Amino acid sequence: MGSAHSMPEEIQELADKTGFTLEQIEHLHRRFKQISGDQRTIRKESFDRIPDLEFNPIRSKIVRAFFDKRNLRQASDGLAEEINFEDFLTIMSYFRPMEMNMDEEQLDHFRKEKLKFLFHMYDSDNDGKITLQEYRKVVEELLSRNPHLEKESARSIADGAMMEAASICVGQMEPDQVYEGITFEDFLKMWQGIDIDTKMHVRFLNMEPIAHCH
Amino acid sequence: MEDLIFAAAKVMSVWLTVVFTLIVLPSVFGASLGISELYMRILVKTLEWATIRIQKGVKQEQAMALKNSASSGIIQRDETTMEKEIAGLHRVDFELSDVFYFSKKGIEAIVEDEVTQRFSSEELVSWNLLTRTNVNFQYISLRLTVVWVLGVLIRYCLLLPLRVTLAAIGIVSMIVGTTLVGQLPNSNAKDWLSELVHLTCSRILVRALSGTITYHNKENRPQKGGICVANHTSPIDVLILTNDGCYAMVGQAHGGLMGLIQRSTVKACPHVWFERSEMKDRHLVTKRLREHIADKNKLPILIFPEGTCINNTSVMMFKKGSFEIGGTIYPVAIKYDPQFGDAFWNSSKYDIVSYLLRIMTSWAIVCNVWYMPPMVREEGEDAVQFANRVKSAIARQGGLTELSWDGGLKRAKVKDTFKEQQQKNYSKMIVGNGSTGNPTMGAE
Repeated sequence: MGSAHSMPEEIQELADKTGFTLEQIEHLHRRFKQISGDQRTIRKESFDRIPDLEFNPIRSKIVRAFFDKRNLRQASDGLAEEINFEDFLTIMSYFRPMEMNMDEEQLDHFRKEKLKFLFHMYDSDNDGKITLQEYRKVVEELLSRNPHLEKESARSIADGAMMEAASICVGQMEPDQVYEGITFEDFLKMWQGIDIDTKMHVRFLNMEPIAHCH
Repeated sequence: MEDLIFAAAKVMSVWLTVVFTLIVLPSVFGASLGISELYMRILVKTLEWATIRIQKGVKQEQAMALKNSASSGIIQRDETTMEKEIAGLHRVDFELSDVFYFSKKGIEAIVEDEVTQRFSSEELVSWNLLTRTNVNFQYISLRLTVVWVLGVLIRYCLLLPLRVTLAAIGIVSMIVGTTLVGQLPNSNAKDWLSELVHLTCSRILVRALSGTITYHNKENRPQKGGICVANHTSPIDVLILTNDGCYAMVGQAHGGLMGLIQRSTVKACPHVWFERSEMKDRHLVTKRLREHIADKNKLPILIFPEGTCINNTSVMMFKKGSFEIGGTIYPVAIKYDPQFGDAFWNSSKYDIVSYLLRIMTSWAIVCNVWYMPPMVREEGEDAVQFANRVKSAIARQGGLTELSWDGGLKRAKVKDTFKEQQQKNYSKMIVGNGSTGNPTMGAE
């Protein structure tokens, strides 16, 4: 009677690495099993089972972000074929809310990690900058499938936003100066004043089951 | 050797006699000897004791109420609408920032979504001494373990054989009874006899599951010539409802034992069984059902518009087909109490036989049935709106959440039309702001 935790040390290791509590890891593990259909790894197709995700216009980018080796901290390039539970938790940890007991340096590091995750979503060819092409692709995806919106409008929206970004990062440009693309430093600069941390986290409810024996 | 067989035969006959007098005979008259009430009282006391023991084993600060999170999930979803959130982030018209909103929503959906959790069994607030629901709960004390072992013995060695016997008796008597009644010429006597046979067999089968059903508002019970509509959790729903009244059932013709039951019952009472090929033709189905309800002498039709089994925490989209037939709709809400046994049939996880075994080794099936006042389609209301109206009424009465997702998502994917809606909303916002940028850019 009663199921004792089968691998407490492993779970503790995961908790230390990703910052989740034991209960959150347990719940996420159950969710992982649901998504993977009780397999040990998930592939891109497994995310097709989530109806709520279908609504999301940047669905493919989000799913891709799970397999991006840069986010998984395995390599600086490429996509993984499948990910296991530890990788799943690593990606989820980008969306953890800021802890109360973090100091300045930790907060800054955390913020940078979150922005890096977002940067990787845009920078699909992995050259370290968001070029106009990549930006346009994201805009098109966000606005795609709307029959009333033509490709031209989507393009000009992207171009306009890119101009804004250029003016923030580089300042006034010469008439024939070419703006290569938004590097990560520029990206950070754009978000300097703004508190994105509250926008980019998923709040876990604090729950503990009634029966709990330590 | 012969003595052994003799002794076994004696035991069997005693057993059968006991079963007959105490259970089968009273079912014929719809009476109850109070044995199951006693059993339920003992069961409730035991479970209460177990819960208190479990709670005592926990430190005071940690005993938080789990009720909220068990039903609403593990994350707190941000309810700000797309418009507000994006407006707050805007420095220029179109921004990298919009990706924030969507990526957060995406991750929230991945961590937990409203639909997938409806297709797995409901989580319990506290353990009910069944191993299968033991997800979070750990070893507490020796006494609890002993009670649990006792529970296992009672359930598997005492209740299971009893229930299997009853189920067998119930099914056999239904087949035999309805075939016999079916031989009679059509008359009032035949109808009365067929009702009696159906009711008796239903009662036997419900007792085979240790079902404790409370019917509310019996004055609203479905009348002849109407359509009865209910939320669907398991194949047992049919038994729950026929325990209290007679219905004409609608469904696909199966083979095997189920087919045998279908063929014999249709002789006694005009159920509507469709061949698989006929089911595809919606007009044919609608026509036959219309003919059925047009005859005011025929029993009310029983339909489950969700089309699939949901886990009894919510009501999903009602398919509009049943609401196009016309006639009076009698909604019925069925809510099971998961503490005593999980009635939900997860057809992708268990087949029907393992499902029935699980049901028969649970403590009991306890449920509440609410009969609701009849509803008719109003002027200017189309079938879909009517279906949604009935669905809301059932959800409210049964205390279930209401979802507009299709139960078919259990197996299929979301239709593209739904995806496009969100994208249309978003692009309307962007284009509406009138952002037209300067097309001359360097990096190409």
